[in-house]
Amino acid sequence: MKKTLPQKFLLLAVVLMWSLGGLAHAQTATADSELKAASAAAPTTTTQAAGDPGGSTTGTVNDVPVSDAKAGVTVADVGNQVGQNKIAINFTWTLITGFLVMFMQAGFAMVEAGLCRVKNANHTYMMNFTVYACGLFAYWLIGFAIQMGGAAGNGNLGGLQPLNGEHTMSLFGKTWGLWGTQGMLLSGHTYDVGVMVIFLFEMVFMDTALTIVTGAAAERWKFLTFCVSSVLMGAFTYPIFGNWAWGGGWLAALGSNLGLGKGYCDFAGSGVVHAVGGLTALAVALIIGPRIGKFNRDGSPNAIIGHDISAVLIGCFILAFGWFGFNPGSTLGASAAGNLRIGSIAVNTMLAGCTGTFGAMLYMWALKGKPDASMSANGLLAGLVAITAPSGFVNPVGSAIIGAIAGVLVCLSVAFVESKMKIDDPVGAISVHGTCGLWGVLSVGLFADGKSNYGGAWNGVTGSVTGLFYGDASQLVAQIIGIGTLIGFVFTFSFALNWVLDVFLGQRVSAETELEGLDLPEMGQLGYPEFVFRPEPAFMHVEAAAVA
Amino acid sequence: MAATKQQGQWFGLFLIGLTVTCAGIYDLSSGTGKIALALGLVVLVVSFLRFLGLKPLEGKVALGAQPAGMKAVGVLVTAAGWLLALFGLHLASGVGGRMVFAILGLGVSLVGVVLILPAACNKNAIWKA
Repeated sequence: MKKTLPQKFLLLAVVLMWSLGGLAHAQTATADSELKAASAAAPTTTTQAAGDPGGSTTGTVNDVPVSDAKAGVTVADVGNQVGQNKIAINFTWTLITGFLVMFMQAGFAMVEAGLCRVKNANHTYMMNFTVYACGLFAYWLIGFAIQMGGAAGNGNLGGLQPLNGEHTMSLFGKTWGLWGTQGMLLSGHTYDVGVMVIFLFEMVFMDTALTIVTGAAAERWKFLTFCVSSVLMGAFTYPIFGNWAWGGGWLAALGSNLGLGKGYCDFAGSGVVHAVGGLTALAVALIIGPRIGKFNRDGSPNAIIGHDISAVLIGCFILAFGWFGFNPGSTLGASAAGNLRIGSIAVNTMLAGCTGTFGAMLYMWALKGKPDASMSANGLLAGLVAITAPSGFVNPVGSAIIGAIAGVLVCLSVAFVESKMKIDDPVGAISVHGTCGLWGVLSVGLFADGKSNYGGAWNGVTGSVTGLFYGDASQLVAQIIGIGTLIGFVFTFSFALNWVLDVFLGQRVSAETELEGLDLPEMGQLGYPEFVFRPEPAFMHVEAAAVA
Repeated sequence: MAATKQQGQWFGLFLIGLTVTCAGIYDLSSGTGKIALALGLVVLVVSFLRFLGLKPLEGKVALGAQPAGMKAVGVLVTAAGWLLALFGLHLASGVGGRMVFAILGLGVSLVGVVLILPAACNKNAIWKA
């Protein structure tokens, strides 16, 4: 029978596929036999028993787990082991950097307590200590699910497929993510190894945001209200914005839905962590009011000096150390998908901290006459806060510029918040984390150099994040929308929430407690019982008497 | 008054209420979940009422009365700026137009945060007395 042309092609294709299949089978068989030969040639237990001082006989093909003992090690076994090694490297990286971020709590505690008066030391330390438990508990209950419950698809951590629920809304013909739905109490199908890793990492970030607020409200925040406020922030305020930016929410989708760059980009959290913390700090500071004696009748501010500058500076170094977890860790892996950029991210982090320190120190030294220690410390933190969002997308020169601007900006912002807005922020948290956090978000839209490539896409949009100075103005729009959301939504939400708490619980301790110091009335124990307290200036007693 | 036993008790109750509420949401499809959610919400309300009962015992705070209306205006203006930026994404299709709306919205929000709210919260500040 004469074959038609399509039949001939079909026959040819079948023959070709059979040949290729046979070839592949032959290659696999060859590889398997090579693996068996390597296994036979590998050091025996007797050889290894002699010790391996040079490290040349430890870790061989015989360490690859086999699926079938009779067949021995196969190509499939090696492939599985390579895949598991990639995930193991990324798990280890993410966990260790998460541990570093967790230790930042100690740095925050030292900085904040050092900048407060000795009579409030125990209370300030205790807030920084307790916020860890409050935040973690709330995040485990519901916060993590809201933030990351729809964040499936991260190949660095094995896919995170159990986190596959995002509540969405259709608007203007597009779908927008609002909050996640999977992962409450880490139960059911989210009892998963990958989910545990991302939970730990995201939780320590959340706790960093929470602890920022305690600085701005220090020396007058009622401990009970602080506890409730922190629980609610860990459960709702932080996770909602976290979802929009990192959990597959609508801000991240600005690129895929509207063509605005790669969507809102915040590599490690200048916005998600620091601006959320700083703006919530602003909301609480507004509601709670200034400390007794902070402002004179004409509105001019008085300096209320902290008790331990050594704690402040050492705390800053602890924070700078922890930041190596914050920024490089935000790759969520060290292996594959462009993650080798971790070195660049770490260097960017260092540089911005360095130029931030110089920015603040030189500003104070040149304009005020002294290289003020607390402002220099805030300059370091300002640089680190600002580089957090762009650290994964910019080059070292960009980092240095971003950090230097942040260093000067924090000095200007501290003066503005205190002198113009009449807000009392004992540690400068609003300026360091709020103002410089927003600057960091903006700087992505300016300085991102288009050279990063994390698996070829960001927020589901192919290509590298590129800012205005490198040719993409639309990325800047996405970043400004992010800033608008932080101020317009996060601040508003925080203000409303803490206003309600003020109505039910009262945010502030009594004037009597405030003058005495919060350590004894609120904590029942002095931070430094053997210190001799210097009496407060007379005008503070006059102001307190006016209250009574 | 400072910290008291009652504060600790009602904060504990608040945490229990939140936990039961979340357990209810987690298992909302079942009857047990619905009961847990309702129970948790009741416990939360009770804890807040208890907090409210403790508040007068705190004593005088060094804070003047803040005008609620002015604060509400500040909050609304701040949120309105955000909504303006969001609707600008729909109203304008080009990058330039969206940039203008985003900056405009940001400006409106900043009026709320930097001007109105600090003025409201400091209107009756005790340091002015």
